[in-house]
Amino acid sequence: MYKLFLKIATRYLLKNKLYSFINIFGLAIGIASFVLIMLYINYEQSYDKFEGSENVYRVYMDYLEGDAFVAGDAQTYNLTGPSLKKEFPEVLDYVRLFYFEKMTFQLGERILEQPLGSLADPSYFDIFNYPLLKGEKEKVLSQPYSIVLSQSFAQKLFGTEDPMQKTIAAFRDGEKAILTVTGVMADMPKTAHYRNSYLISYETEKTWTEYGPRAHELNWNANNYYTFLKLDPNANASLLRQKIMDSDIEEDKEEQHNIEPLEDIHLYSDKPYEVSANGSVTRIKFLMAIAFIILILSWLNYVNLSATKSMERAKEAGIRKVSGAQKSQLIIQSLIESVLLNFIAISISMILVAALLPLYNSITGKELSVGVTDITAFTPYFLFILLGMILAGLYPALLLSSYSPVKALKGKIQTSSQGIAIRKGLIVTQFLATIVLLIGTIVVTKQINFLESQPIGTNVNQVIALKGEVITTKADSLVINDFKVLEAELQRLPFVENVAIAQTYPGDSFDNLSSTRGLILPDGREEDEKIFYTYHVQPDYFDLMDIDFLAGGTFLPSSDWEGNQVIVNETFLKNMGISSAEEVLNQSLGFWGNSDWRIAGVIKDYYHFGLKSPMLPMVIRYQSDVNNLLVKLNPQAASVAGFESSIAQIKSEWTKIFPKSTFNYTFLDQKFEAQYAEDKAFGSAFQVFTVLAILIASLGLFGLTSYTVVQRKKEIGIRKVNGATIPQVLGLLNKDFVKWVGVAFIIAVPISWYVMNQWLEGFAYRTNLSWWVFALAGLTALFIALLTVSWQSFQAAIANPVDSLRNE
Amino acid sequence: MLLQLNNIFKWVNSGGQRIFLLKDINLQVQEGEFISIMGPSGSGKSTLLNVIGMLDAFDEGEYHFLDESVHALKEKHRANLYKEYIGFVFQSYHLLDELTVQENLEMPLLYKKYKGAERKAMVADMLDRFNIVGKKDLFPAQLSGGQQQLVGVARALIASPKLILADEPTGNLNSQQSEEIMELFKKLNQEDGVTIIQVTHSEKNAAYGSRTINLLDGRKI
Repeated sequence: MYKLFLKIATRYLLKNKLYSFINIFGLAIGIASFVLIMLYINYEQSYDKFEGSENVYRVYMDYLEGDAFVAGDAQTYNLTGPSLKKEFPEVLDYVRLFYFEKMTFQLGERILEQPLGSLADPSYFDIFNYPLLKGEKEKVLSQPYSIVLSQSFAQKLFGTEDPMQKTIAAFRDGEKAILTVTGVMADMPKTAHYRNSYLISYETEKTWTEYGPRAHELNWNANNYYTFLKLDPNANASLLRQKIMDSDIEEDKEEQHNIEPLEDIHLYSDKPYEVSANGSVTRIKFLMAIAFIILILSWLNYVNLSATKSMERAKEAGIRKVSGAQKSQLIIQSLIESVLLNFIAISISMILVAALLPLYNSITGKELSVGVTDITAFTPYFLFILLGMILAGLYPALLLSSYSPVKALKGKIQTSSQGIAIRKGLIVTQFLATIVLLIGTIVVTKQINFLESQPIGTNVNQVIALKGEVITTKADSLVINDFKVLEAELQRLPFVENVAIAQTYPGDSFDNLSSTRGLILPDGREEDEKIFYTYHVQPDYFDLMDIDFLAGGTFLPSSDWEGNQVIVNETFLKNMGISSAEEVLNQSLGFWGNSDWRIAGVIKDYYHFGLKSPMLPMVIRYQSDVNNLLVKLNPQAASVAGFESSIAQIKSEWTKIFPKSTFNYTFLDQKFEAQYAEDKAFGSAFQVFTVLAILIASLGLFGLTSYTVVQRKKEIGIRKVNGATIPQVLGLLNKDFVKWVGVAFIIAVPISWYVMNQWLEGFAYRTNLSWWVFALAGLTALFIALLTVSWQSFQAAIANPVDSLRNE
Repeated sequence: MLLQLNNIFKWVNSGGQRIFLLKDINLQVQEGEFISIMGPSGSGKSTLLNVIGMLDAFDEGEYHFLDESVHALKEKHRANLYKEYIGFVFQSYHLLDELTVQENLEMPLLYKKYKGAERKAMVADMLDRFNIVGKKDLFPAQLSGGQQQLVGVARALIASPKLILADEPTGNLNSQQSEEIMELFKKLNQEDGVTIIQVTHSEKNAAYGSRTINLLDGRKI
């Protein structure tokens, strides 16, 4: 019996090609979108999960002014871990990590730079339960000058040879250490917020560099370490959190230690000094909403189309009934059809997912794949799809089986007023979803454009940052001299507009800024609570970066104050309660144990991290230390054509002076833009899925119109015979859709206004929700709706009425 | 006695008025009868047929079918009753467009839970009996009207009902096709003893029956 049902269903689908296509295609797009979004969400939610990860917490700090929160900080002191362990029995162990964005290694003659590594306490593998392929987890980091390599880094260095007990040289601020490989760990999953490709034993810090001994001494001064705790599984974490917040381990009331679950960091934490850019739970929520909206849209489509279609099939149901079919058999048959249709749709959606995944990955910047995903995490979604499938199939099935056979056989089935109401409701819901998504897309796009077009107070275009590790035995001062020579040489190149040396630059990592508090202001006030951020540059920096001065000017190399000169920004003055920029010029400022920093100038505010974060109070110091060589190219050189040769020439100048070194460069504008990458990806995803949602809704509308037009064919014929013109008939048919869009619009506006406001809250600088955003979305929806229905309405309107009337 | 209608009334209320579709109908049908119902349009022929077929309810009166009192039965039992004992033939054949001739014949058997082999045998027997073996894999749209109605009759008969109800079975057919179908009915009635009630406009067709009932405005005359 089921075989026959299946056969009938197949033939039916083949016979009604348009209907089947719309239904299957709509569902396939819906399911594919849902799966793609869920893959992303699942990926984002799978960060930092390993056996025991639920007991791992990160310590972070909040800076307070009085009781008010000023800023957070993901980094802590080297005393944080030991103190917490001593104070609280719930803390079983701690690990401190000092992060290296990049480090230069030397193996024989080979010099290579390796990103992502840390100094780590011996307890690392006890807390981060990542597999160790070689070495014992208690011992690998216990001795100074030990290094644990990731599998792929080990392979890069030693090929197929056994790396154990081999030595390599590593350079930290130009100082060399010979490290012994004591272990090999598996490559860390992409879904770890803190990834390491090598770990160097924490004790190494003490003797590696000149400043090592001082830095290594336990103190509450320099918070440069990430601290992770392993808690007793039975510990009450929220209670412990409160105890830590209330405790005074540091004896500094303005800093509050706090803990957060490791697993939550990726989605919930966005603090200064995060080790890597994190995801955002808001984005996840939005995407999840979009996923469900699209899936539900495609089901509504299905329900609406099949319900309409079921009127056409009433006769068939009638025949079956008089032939002896039970109501339940009719329902089962209808469900089988719906299962078949869904099955085809799911198969197509799987093909779509597989085909679109590479494109999708390039949009989202992730490496998603069906295989990587934990299938068990997907079970609820599968069940949801299954449930939706059954529910969507049930309505037309119940409808079909409920028709009275006598009426059905006479073709007298008409949609009940209740049925019409349901269908209208479905269409309004579809429009509602479409308009909400449209408004969302417009707002997201508008916000991203706003961020990108906002003046940021500095010009990052055509600027490249040169960076490289110079391997030399020369004294620091001589190296700095070499850099001065290089700077002069580069300045001479025809395509170089300007060169400057700076510790960091706009758009660079947060790690290169120091957060500081404890100030003596020019008027003698001591300010201990307010935080400020500092970095150092050389005089040409401001000119090169197009940062304007409000008062004073850049550092003067010949000044009496030499390296004690500082430049502050507007926000710094504002935060410190100083109203006049002119007044503070040449006044003294005290911090870091030096009471006589001289303010050489006040710069206008510029956005060091783009508009996502608030303006930071800055103190920029004058220090002849070399980190980045910033080179501003002229426009021709920065163009694609001139770029290759420009870089080649710069590189040749570099290697002339530093033959033994690495060389790499970054475009500042690209790095700056990269801060918006996730938002842009989110924007693109929003756009793509909105278009898909609109496509699904339009498909449904198209299918639906074709039936309404057929149903009203006789009416149209009669009206035309009685003198209705084509525009009048068009108006008659399209009027309803305009009304439905209108109703949907009225409901959509407050919903999207509220939701998009929530999203914008996440930005320090945000665009406003202008009225035209809503108007544009409403008109677009109306336009698409009319476009979809008009073709068929027009066909109906121009048809010869004789044809339709004769059919009756 | 196959069925008996006693004082059957059926009406609709329209604008505060009661309009009778069937008025005081009394009818006894013996097994093996071939009855024709005649009357002008709107006289209640099809309504009466539907009431007999239990597809339509009535408002007053008693209906006994075999040993059952139909008027006292619940909807579901009534449906089971007609599904077991009654076959329907329609003016517009009402074959399922998506099914072949063979499958159309098989369809009613599916709902009556016959086994696969049994079904095959019954369908083959029917195809044979109606001489349409060659057409078994064709779809209704590929057949002439007469052939379609042939299939319609075959389908009505396949589960060996006690009663065939035919609503203007030849209404869509030309005279030659009509004659063939009526001959078939006659043969079924006389040779196989199938009870037939047909609705017809044509005196000629009515003459095939053993008894004619005339209706006017819902009344037997």
